[in-house]
Amino acid sequence: MFLALKELMHSKMKFLMIVIIFVLVAWLVFILSGLGNGLSTLAASTFQNMKADYVVFEQGAQSTMGKSLISDELVAQAEKLSNVTAASPMGSTMATALKGNSTKNEDKVDIAMLGILPGSFLEPTVIEGEGLSIANPTGVIVNKTMKDEGFKLGDTFQLDGSTQALTIIGFVDNQTYNHLSAVFVPMSEWRKIAFAAPGSDKGIAGPINAIMLQGKHIDPTYISSKLSNTDAVTRGAAIHGMPGYKEENGSIMMMLGFLLAISAFVLGVFFYVITMQKTNQFGVMKAIGARNGFLSTAIVSQVVVLSLTSIVIGVLLTYGTAAIMPKGMPFKLETNLVIEYSVILLVIAVLSSLVSVRKITMIDPLKALGRAE
Amino acid sequence: MTTGLHISNVTKYYAEGRNRISALEKVSISVEPGELVAVVGPSGSGKSTFLSIAGALLKASEGEVNLNGHLLSKLSEKELSNVRLKEIGFIMQSSNLVPYLNVLDQLLLVKKMSGKVRSKDRMFAVKLLEEIGLGSKLKSYPEELSGGEKQRTAIARALINNPNVILADEPTASLDTKRAHEVVSLIANEVKSRRKAAIMVTHDERMLEYCDKVYRMEDGRLSLAGTNVSGCVDC
Repeated sequence: MFLALKELMHSKMKFLMIVIIFVLVAWLVFILSGLGNGLSTLAASTFQNMKADYVVFEQGAQSTMGKSLISDELVAQAEKLSNVTAASPMGSTMATALKGNSTKNEDKVDIAMLGILPGSFLEPTVIEGEGLSIANPTGVIVNKTMKDEGFKLGDTFQLDGSTQALTIIGFVDNQTYNHLSAVFVPMSEWRKIAFAAPGSDKGIAGPINAIMLQGKHIDPTYISSKLSNTDAVTRGAAIHGMPGYKEENGSIMMMLGFLLAISAFVLGVFFYVITMQKTNQFGVMKAIGARNGFLSTAIVSQVVVLSLTSIVIGVLLTYGTAAIMPKGMPFKLETNLVIEYSVILLVIAVLSSLVSVRKITMIDPLKALGRAE
Repeated sequence: MTTGLHISNVTKYYAEGRNRISALEKVSISVEPGELVAVVGPSGSGKSTFLSIAGALLKASEGEVNLNGHLLSKLSEKELSNVRLKEIGFIMQSSNLVPYLNVLDQLLLVKKMSGKVRSKDRMFAVKLLEEIGLGSKLKSYPEELSGGEKQRTAIARALINNPNVILADEPTASLDTKRAHEVVSLIANEVKSRRKAAIMVTHDERMLEYCDKVYRMEDGRLSLAGTNVSGCVDC
């Protein structure tokens, strides 16, 4: 630590440049991870926040709501199966909400309509207004981002391409589905909208898209075998089955992966070059009695100090960026995620400095005498 | 326990293809505490190899080095580095100070290598530097020092751990005559007053007047060239 800090204080310019590079890398890593997290939240927050553990789809539906159509008769059967504590039907369909009778572009808002049973465990708690009720089938609860689009409590909106009109009776928080605001609709009303076209329910009695199950230690294969023509998966698998979710997340993760790999090399080369410049000094110190451990500690502690400084600055810059980002940006920083990537960056930096450490252990103190024979 | 530095029948050879090149041939020398010995000789004669072996930087092919009771051939790498730290004070050719440490920190660095710096270590370092005439330069960096001041810092650094053996490798190489005399007389004084066994490798004949004995190295063989009793060397 002694050597590390003394050198940092003495050649500030050199280390400032490394810190700048490291800060930029860290900044980009945090922004990308926030963006990835934001996108996946937007795509699936409804699923992520749902108090369900497993999802039952139609067999062959590839864990995707849109490809699955089953009868709600299965709900009662599912509830009786072992380890299942509760089961509830769910349906989803995309729609467009029309503000009044306007024909302007900005007054058409895409929404994700989710059909659920009022009062079931799938219904999120409202932060404003009241919850769904069977007595009021056209009363819906919507994600609070609809407010930004100009919708208010008590507003009635028409659906594009349908004769149905819905009234907002409550707002909920953090409910987005397929990048769209979620609109929770009582099941009976959802069926009217989703299966308006004759024959679109394939003649199934009480059609729904999926059954959500609650219960720990459920065996999905057991569920699938007991309910004919179904495929039970974990909630996580259902999230991955959402259209575009895997691809979107995959590209962000790939960018992050490459970024981390590149930063490992860039930092490693930097530390290596700096160490190489000091070969002679390290040789002298070894000649006057410094052990490899002493010099390695000096290098690694220097890297740790540089990394921590850079990561902290990077985190601050990221929060600063987040504060001035436009509201609609799918950007979501979570403390856990920030800590996780900070640790990853620190580990990468320390690992990349180990190459330099290896190099100094091989320096021959004889070099210090100026002429190794 | 033997004190001082005793080298007996040390041979060092390098394999070069099929040939064996010997750099040192059966070199023996004894330096007692309080004694300053000079080793002179043309370049390539094996002076550096000799100093490297005496300084626990290089292992002898044959023979034994007894450094204040430590038999160097018996020690591991780690123990050798400990011997260098605790028992040997090195004064190198171009002073070789660490560029980003000030004069005081150069000395404290050596203390750091063996653990913690206590306040009495700091006081000793300051006292040593004051004695050597660097009292006003404690916070100066090597780039701000003259050649003589750098070399004096190196001498102080060699003395900080209170080693029993001092090894100086061409300590006057980059100094003018006046500074060279200052530096070597300083080394001689410290050796006498602190009772160190010291070897100075040099090709600077002007400096021999400060030494008790002068050895000459030629083609890897070491021979006594003169003894200085009265303060004037006859070699």
